[in-house]
Amino acid sequence: MAVCNVCGDLICEECVQKRIGDYAGKLFTIANCLKEECVAASGWAQVVNPDYQRLTNMDWSDSVDGKVLRTTGAGAVLMMVFELIFILGMLYIQFFTQWGLVRSNVPYFFIRGDAVVILGILGNLIAAILLQTALQVYIHERQLASGVMLLILLIVEVMLLLERGFFFNLRYYPYPYLVPVLLAAFGSASLLVFIGSAVAVAVGYEKRKQLREARKILGLASK
Amino acid sequence: MSDMADTIFHRPRGLRVIGITQMSFGIFSIIVSLGIFSAWLTGSPLIPTVGHLYALVIMIFVGIPCLVIGNYVDDLRRNAVIAQVLYSIAAIALVSYFIVNWGIQYHWAVPWFGLVTDVAVGYVAALVLFTQIVFVLYLLVRWKSVVPAKGVRIERDRTRARLIEYGLMPTPLSTDLLGSDGRAVVTKEQGQRIMQTRKVTSEEGMAILCSNCGGATPLTKAEADNTIRCDFCGVRLALSGVFMPCKNHPEYLAAAACAVCGERFCRRCLTAQEPPVDVKWTGSTVFLCSKCFEGRFRPAVTTASLVIPIDQLFSKAGSRFSRFGSLYGRFLRKYFGIMPYALRIAGQALSSMSHSSHGNDNAGAFILAIIIAIIAIPVVTGIALLLGAIVIVPILFYAGLVSVTVEAVRIIRRTDFISLDQARERAVIRREPVKEKESGLRAPSRSWQRSDAKKESAAAEGFFRR
Repeated sequence: MAVCNVCGDLICEECVQKRIGDYAGKLFTIANCLKEECVAASGWAQVVNPDYQRLTNMDWSDSVDGKVLRTTGAGAVLMMVFELIFILGMLYIQFFTQWGLVRSNVPYFFIRGDAVVILGILGNLIAAILLQTALQVYIHERQLASGVMLLILLIVEVMLLLERGFFFNLRYYPYPYLVPVLLAAFGSASLLVFIGSAVAVAVGYEKRKQLREARKILGLASK
Repeated sequence: MSDMADTIFHRPRGLRVIGITQMSFGIFSIIVSLGIFSAWLTGSPLIPTVGHLYALVIMIFVGIPCLVIGNYVDDLRRNAVIAQVLYSIAAIALVSYFIVNWGIQYHWAVPWFGLVTDVAVGYVAALVLFTQIVFVLYLLVRWKSVVPAKGVRIERDRTRARLIEYGLMPTPLSTDLLGSDGRAVVTKEQGQRIMQTRKVTSEEGMAILCSNCGGATPLTKAEADNTIRCDFCGVRLALSGVFMPCKNHPEYLAAAACAVCGERFCRRCLTAQEPPVDVKWTGSTVFLCSKCFEGRFRPAVTTASLVIPIDQLFSKAGSRFSRFGSLYGRFLRKYFGIMPYALRIAGQALSSMSHSSHGNDNAGAFILAIIIAIIAIPVVTGIALLLGAIVIVPILFYAGLVSVTVEAVRIIRRTDFISLDQARERAVIRREPVKEKESGLRAPSRSWQRSDAKKESAAAEGFFRR
């Protein structure tokens, strides 16, 4: 039972036509009766297919999606924190240690610290994009794409970090624990993101298959 | 029971200033009093015998009254405002007498703890005279808005006042359930029974929920004139519209349809959102079910819509650099604007210098100094601004990234889903307003609870709000 959004008449389950329309960027549902003028006035929204909705119900993934969100999210936050600390640590090394004051140890382009700031901001930027993608990973429609995107970003981030380590000659830093500690922190964050994104890809692929099958069963044209 | 009420948010700003100033005077006086007393204890030669009396007088006649009256004035209390006017008049008379007899230049070496401070007591008296005159004039001119009328109840608890302002509570009067006469408050036990009954399935089928007490009365009891009498509080309710069961709880009537999925839900299952979609929707509440609220299947208005504003961070950093540039541009315009006058003065100095002995040597050095200064000032300023920008802008950018991380942690920890039913029960029944857990990165929901709402700025127009 519903009320027609055009004429306001009371309509029974059999005579109701539900539609989903994009109203200023948001998807809203409206109901209309089968009178010609009401159907015409509701034409801006697409008719809902209840069978399709039933077949594409993804409640089964609620639990795993929550875990994926938290795993990737924790990894991405850890990565972000790592990047934020890394840039500060590098600035400290370059400006406040005897070792860092030697240009051949920590190189720079024009003025002291420029390479650290530029490469650090680049790393932070990638970490921020990673974090944003990690927060999108539990949405059914974006899960597969987000998982794949996370894997790609993770590879880029790892390569950039290793490149920065070599560029700043951190292997030769006199304090022997720096590199292992950095690698351990970064490695654990990467592992979390990797596990989360791998599961997201797997679950996202299942959902994609479910959508395809639903379209096949109902004889709908795939997008 | 009075039917006139208002909240502390309608306190005039001037009254707040007076209250805080008086309290500051009070705290300052107490510190002074303690200092003098301490100096007397340690045997300061400046106040050998009567030091403790000075301290006592300052404490009793200035410190404590200022603190107490200021505090109550700040609370928008009728008697406090009257006391403030009387106190201010007394202070004006006393201070005027002091200035007339001792003059404004009067100084006094005040012993304070281990120190001796030379206080310009005459100026302090003038300051007190000025502020108290302003206070009295303000209070008398705005008497109607600063003195609540007799019998008006002011809600001073900011949390409850905020709920009233946003319409979650109809008045600051009791939120208890009312009896069938519409005035008598039902007992606590009766109230609990009603709230419990509202939640159980009506054995007689679908029920209507009373707008007064929330009790469930079966629709089978509807009368011929299409009304129904609430089984619990006796209020007569009109039956109209369509009765739909909740999708999740068929035993309840649906309150509204979810705007996203279109299904009908009861109050327990719905959330209220105020999405800033466009002009038409601004300020209008949209009801969403919990699933659509979380935006998992069809991104609606919340978590799923989150986009970390990386572009904003960069554009802000860029605009800050350009702001430094425009600042420098303005400086240059002003600089070259005053140059003709500076050059004219320099020319006059130069001509007077050239008439004196050794004039040519001095003039040459002077010209050189002027040229260097003219060129050096904008260059040095430019370098300073550039260095400032290079240091400040990355720090602000970094701070932006830190705040993004903090927001992300909040989102990952939990979503801020809360049903209307939970919110109502906490706020109205248990009187525990729901805590705000909004993310700063997305459009606010439950805006009626926003703690940053500045309601104090609203003009005070008497005390006639019901």
